[in-house]
Amino acid sequence: MNKSVSISILLVAVVLGAMMVFQFRTTSSIDKGVSLSREQELSIERKQLERDILHLQEEVADLTAKLNEAGQGQTGTAGALESQLARLKLYAGLLPVAGPGVEVLLDNLPDRARPGGVSGFDNIRDDDLLKVINELRGVGAEAIAINGQRILSTTEIRLAGNHINVNLTKLSPPYRVSAVGNAGALKSGMEIKDGLVEYMDTLGISVKVQIKDSVQIPAYTGAVHFEYAKLAQRR
Amino acid sequence: MWFGFWLALIGLLAGALIGLKIPLILPPLYAKSMSVAALAALDSVFGGIRAAQENHFDNKIFLTGFFSNALLAAGLAFAGDRLGIDLYLAAVVAFGVRLFQNLAIIRRHLLKK
Repeated sequence: MNKSVSISILLVAVVLGAMMVFQFRTTSSIDKGVSLSREQELSIERKQLERDILHLQEEVADLTAKLNEAGQGQTGTAGALESQLARLKLYAGLLPVAGPGVEVLLDNLPDRARPGGVSGFDNIRDDDLLKVINELRGVGAEAIAINGQRILSTTEIRLAGNHINVNLTKLSPPYRVSAVGNAGALKSGMEIKDGLVEYMDTLGISVKVQIKDSVQIPAYTGAVHFEYAKLAQRR
Repeated sequence: MWFGFWLALIGLLAGALIGLKIPLILPPLYAKSMSVAALAALDSVFGGIRAAQENHFDNKIFLTGFFSNALLAAGLAFAGDRLGIDLYLAAVVAFGVRLFQNLAIIRRHLLKK
């Protein structure tokens, strides 16, 4: 047996041994886990799932944004409705208000101070109060109350025996008409020459107009109920 | 003859040691190619033994056959994997058949002695 044959046998044996053992190690390391096809399958599935996750995350972000938007829209609408409601209640007289204005105090003059000394017949009538309110409204009163009874658009002022009914509540003199508005305008409107104050003076009614920095006007306490008036169809 | 046997045994052991010490593991994708290459190498070795028993052993043919068979088998298996053809099966069948043939002939030679 010559030398080159020995060398080639040794070389081949070494390579073969290394190859087989290496292959054995590789195979056993793979067998520990899963088969090749199964692994490929799982990796494909995993990629698919990762794509799904990405997709779903995008969807979540999108929906969250939409939800936020919707919530904001809702709270915005609710807030707008609420402020609208509050404003309308304020205009309607269902909320107490305060502000600068005047207080008009109407009372019967004592008998001796009356023009002509006439006495006995009463005295401040409903149309006197109506005139006062009309005058105050005419010069821009925004809220009016008589002896704590808020004057609404539906309020009646009606003589009932010795009393005057306002909001179905009996009032008796002295009458204190509170009005919120431009105080100077209200006062001068009342006290203008040949105006209400002078006119009432001839009827034996004393009228005092006081400017106040803060006039408190209570809310209407009764219920507002329309039985016949319905919302007309708007076209 | 016995010298060659011992040489081969020592070589195998040394190779096994080297194989154990290789610090990397083949990724599963290439494991198939490697297995086919090992089969081809094994076939070449048995072919060599048979040739030696028939007294027409040629060192050059043995060496070139060993390496070219192994590389060709591995390359075919790898290429087949890439092309979607299970070419490694062809290699396994071809080399397997030859392996068993060679083994049978070796067995006969051993029994005839």
